Amino acid sequence: MPASDIPVPQDPADALAAVVALRRLADQLEDAAVEQAMRAGWSWPQVAEALGVTRQAVHRKHAKRLIAAGVKLRRRSP
Amino acid sequence: MSPFDEYLHTIIMEGGVEAQRDGSATVEARHLLLAVAAQEGTAPQRVLAAAGLDHEGVQAALDREFDHSLSTVGVSRGSFGLSRPSTTLKRLPTMGATGKLALERGFASVPRKKDLRPAHVLLGILQAEAGTVPRALALAGVDRTDLLTRVQNTITNDDNE
Repeated sequence: MPASDIPVPQDPADALAAVVALRRLADQLEDAAVEQAMRAGWSWPQVAEALGVTRQAVHRKHAKRLIAAGVKLRRRSP
Repeated sequence: MSPFDEYLHTIIMEGGVEAQRDGSATVEARHLLLAVAAQEGTAPQRVLAAAGLDHEGVQAALDREFDHSLSTVGVSRGSFGLSRPSTTLKRLPTMGATGKLALERGFASVPRKKDLRPAHVLLGILQAEAGTVPRALALAGVDRTDLLTRVQNTITNDDNE
């Protein structure tokens, strides 16, 4: 949607709190979405490209957690 | 280790567990508050519980603040059907900006380190006037200033005993 359609709270405290809450939600979504993709057999380079970050960044952020969760990780893209 | 150091250590470690449960890479003031509310048998926990803020009450207040803040920009957590991500307890999160500030405020409220009591940690958390914790308290109908006075009274009574 165009930027002008995004509701902006009138109270600065609400607007700032919305930024914090959206970042937190985005982090939670990223954790869930990366796990979902890796469980579905995506490779690290594919997930990295889809997120628009480097493979190293996505690996550093998520590998340990996913290994501990028992997710079978693919080492190379097809 | 002094009793205060032991208490502080517990709060920082438990705050880390709360952060992981929350999927957060950093320990924030809200996680420290949850940790304080979970320490049964301590003075700060009693003050919070008396205000309706046991661990469950704090969690409910924080969840409400999260949903409320998202709703002001038209977003709902329920709109996303993704499953809850796995969390690991292998590596503890680092202290975040709001967590650090809360602890610093607690420490700064006494002239000497040996005067620190468990309630000073809660005092530091409650001193924030902006951010997630004061908003969550306000939405839960808790008077933060009144709560601060109660915490302060606990410290005074403790010192007079």
